[in-house]
Amino acid sequence: MIAQTLLALLILFIPVASYAAYCFAGKSSLIVGGGLNVAVAGLMYFGPDLSGIFYIDFTTWVFVIMVASVHFLSVTYATKYFHGTDLGIRENTFYLLMSLFTTSMFFSLEINNFGLMWVGIEATTISSSLLLIAEKTETSLEATWRYLVLVSAGVTFAFLSIILIFYSLGTLDVSSIISHGPEASPVLALAVTIALMGFGTKVGIFPVHTWLPDAHSESPAPVSAMFSGVLLPTALYVLYRVYEIDPLTPLYLWAGVVSIAAASIFLGYQTRYKRMFAYSTMENMNLALIGFAIGGTAGITGALLLLISHSFAKAGAFYTSGSIFKASGLKKISEIKGLWKSMPASSASLLMSSLAVTGAPPFGTFFGEFLIFYGLLSMHYYFPLAIIAFFLVTAFIAVNHNVSGMLFDGESSYSEPGKVMPFLGILSSAIPVLIGLVFVVVYLETL
Amino acid sequence: MLGETLSQYLFVVFLSPLFTGIFSKFKSRIESKKGPSIFQPYYDIFKLFRKETLIPEGSGILFRYVPYAAFGVYSLISLIVPVLIPVPVFFTASADFLGGAILFSLAAFLKMSAAMNSGSNFSAMGTSRIISFNFLAEGALITVFFGVSLITATNNPYTTHSFLSTNLLQNFSLVHIFSTLAFFMLFLYETGKIPLQSEGLPELGMIDSGLNFEYSGKLLAINRWTSHMKQYLLGSIFLNVFFVPWGLFSTYPLFLLDFPVMFLKWMLLIFIVIVIETTLAKLRLFKVLDYLATAFTFSVLFLIFSEVIV
Amino acid sequence: MNALIEVLIYPISSFILISAFYLQAQEFVRSMVIGQMIQSALLGFLSFVIGFAESDYDFFILGVLIVVLRAFLVTYMLERRVPREKIHLHEKKVDVAFTFLVNLILVVTAVFLIYFLIFRSIHLVPDIGSSTIFIFPLTLFFQGLFLIASRKTTFAQIIGYVEEENALVLFAMFLLPIPLIIEASVFLDVLALVVVSSIVVIEKFAHEKMEDLVG
Repeated sequence: MIAQTLLALLILFIPVASYAAYCFAGKSSLIVGGGLNVAVAGLMYFGPDLSGIFYIDFTTWVFVIMVASVHFLSVTYATKYFHGTDLGIRENTFYLLMSLFTTSMFFSLEINNFGLMWVGIEATTISSSLLLIAEKTETSLEATWRYLVLVSAGVTFAFLSIILIFYSLGTLDVSSIISHGPEASPVLALAVTIALMGFGTKVGIFPVHTWLPDAHSESPAPVSAMFSGVLLPTALYVLYRVYEIDPLTPLYLWAGVVSIAAASIFLGYQTRYKRMFAYSTMENMNLALIGFAIGGTAGITGALLLLISHSFAKAGAFYTSGSIFKASGLKKISEIKGLWKSMPASSASLLMSSLAVTGAPPFGTFFGEFLIFYGLLSMHYYFPLAIIAFFLVTAFIAVNHNVSGMLFDGESSYSEPGKVMPFLGILSSAIPVLIGLVFVVVYLETL
Repeated sequence: MLGETLSQYLFVVFLSPLFTGIFSKFKSRIESKKGPSIFQPYYDIFKLFRKETLIPEGSGILFRYVPYAAFGVYSLISLIVPVLIPVPVFFTASADFLGGAILFSLAAFLKMSAAMNSGSNFSAMGTSRIISFNFLAEGALITVFFGVSLITATNNPYTTHSFLSTNLLQNFSLVHIFSTLAFFMLFLYETGKIPLQSEGLPELGMIDSGLNFEYSGKLLAINRWTSHMKQYLLGSIFLNVFFVPWGLFSTYPLFLLDFPVMFLKWMLLIFIVIVIETTLAKLRLFKVLDYLATAFTFSVLFLIFSEVIV
Repeated sequence: MNALIEVLIYPISSFILISAFYLQAQEFVRSMVIGQMIQSALLGFLSFVIGFAESDYDFFILGVLIVVLRAFLVTYMLERRVPREKIHLHEKKVDVAFTFLVNLILVVTAVFLIYFLIFRSIHLVPDIGSSTIFIFPLTLFFQGLFLIASRKTTFAQIIGYVEEENALVLFAMFLLPIPLIIEASVFLDVLALVVVSSIVVIEKFAHEKMEDLVG
């Protein structure tokens, strides 16, 4: 118990400590710190569930390991990515904010208090917003501002639901509220509804998602990967914890369905590849939301599996996008041609990651989606299921059509930017395969 | 009762130009000018009565007869609202407070129709300006009247008046302060005082004068007189229902004291308006809408607060 | 007790609301910053009044926090960013009549929400009175959102955000105060956000639509 609490504390401090080490010992200490964090998070798997200062169960652990790994990958990527580019903020400021950003995500995941969870989510906004202007352009400034104002206005709305929870339950302890079980009252229903719109701003629920594509497309690749891979899931985790108080399944289910429809419609006519991947993130997040909303073993496992595979796959997609942008300097899909010949490693990772984020079979995302579909079927939600399936197929076709156009059409003369960046791309887009295989093996074992 | 009725009516009709005269005299004195005599409005009216009345070609029947009708409407209002005697007189029962507000709107509507009927482009421009402002002003006027009746839950201005004059604390309640403010803003607009200043002939500032542009002689005299009455009526409502509801008497010999009391109250109002007129600058024409929107906002807030704050 | 509430709490809440209207109508950045300060100071004062009425000392600490962090520090941060040579910095085309009418609709919406939908089942801190008092925080909240939506300048949007936060504090004060430690961290969060936003202020004064960020 104490050991687990210590590990949870350690995980909060390692990012900051590794930044302190970076000031003296250079970039390698950041990478070491990131790796250490993954190791600590891995160790936490063997510890018991916590419910003291921290509230940690298996679900939390999945999110923690996700954040730790993507942070590790992103920091490693960033050390190479910013080599020789003009920065809007100083490089060490960037790493400081990155550490604080990661710490605040861990904080909102682990803390055993809804109010402080809210504080953590707000802190992620504050610490991450300046990361967006690392590549200093007019558009990135505008995107930063939209992110800052829209998300904080939305998350402020969510504070209303925290007040209402405290009002009707008299406590904000996650552990005691959740162990008490679901409770239905008009005030709690209101609180859960408000949380959907409030925290939903950060998750990317349909009418309040508008900051999402801007922020994802204008931020530098490692930051996009963090946003898409772990920041949105962190917000989703908090939303899920609020949802557990008074599960309004139809509301959350339909919000997810509508958002998926909207995301894949928007996705269809994007002309920039990072924007396209941003909408794909929105789609996956809402699918996971539906998984959490229907609950049950199938729903929850499906959502977790989807989220963890997606976080690696999407990180891979953004790392590859970063490499392509670094090599070509172009942001539009139509301007990129014939990568297959000139950048084979990046092409392979782009192909793999785009297949992974759209849920093609050998990847973990496929099994996640499959489980969520199974959950929907077993709860007789046929009509939502049909809509989701239709729009997932649309998105699959749109993304893969665009990507194959970038890969196989025409000729080009770019060259790979170094070795580490393509390698990280391939690594993170290959991990979902591993996750998928492990899941199948474990699943077959338990049958 | 007859005595009260007659004295109230005659007071309104015959003394209303006097207050305009006093106002312009004082204002001139503050601006270090000699200023016209306080009886100048009367001289103007007499002079105009003696002049020839010209009816423009192409004008219609409304143009000719509306001045009389408007005069009649204001005469009726002067018997409905507590402008001198704080108890009901003859004809008071013909409309309630809201009815009074609607009668004000009716008079404004009649005057605008008459101006449109004159066939002059200039008058039409003035009318369209007034209409584009009045949609907020009328709304605010009705809301204020509506809201003030919520204080006593009746539509009777006399009940409201006696309630306010006997309950001192109610005069300092938030709702009452808001309504007073909103009504005062409307008073400034309706009587064309700075910061709105609708009188005068410069084209950009001309709002009210557009209505009288084609009138001459007797009809113009009546129109002028109507404006004096309107100013007196609105000002007295402001004084008796909103601002200083005290000091009026209703029984036989004592009600004669109401004349000097009203006179003193009007001196107070004139003083306040002069302070505002000499300290504020005139608003640009398209800012008038903002001004009226503020008044409207106050009136609606007042309406809501009077429900919320019990 | 009730007299105190009648005499102080309602008027202060109303003045907070009126300050929101003032912010809506104001074009000049500097005046908006001052308006925000007055609003926060009123909020702090209200906290003291409620604390006195309830004899609950948490409210006093809350009041001090509001005054120091909101009324003083946030104002200081924003004030420092108003360029010295551009003291008359202002936003063009603020349509007062339009914003006021929209705001009135928001007020009416808040009343509707309170009367007909949800808040009838909520009971308040014992002494405050009827649940109609929620009209103040709800309207303020909507106005903050509308300020963000209707303005183009960075300053106005930050102030809109702070106004929204004020609304939540007001809401919590009337309903049931959140534990102080959380309230304090929320305040610090908002302060940090304002600091970060004020960095963006230097780079970008106003925000228009952009070709690259559509769709």
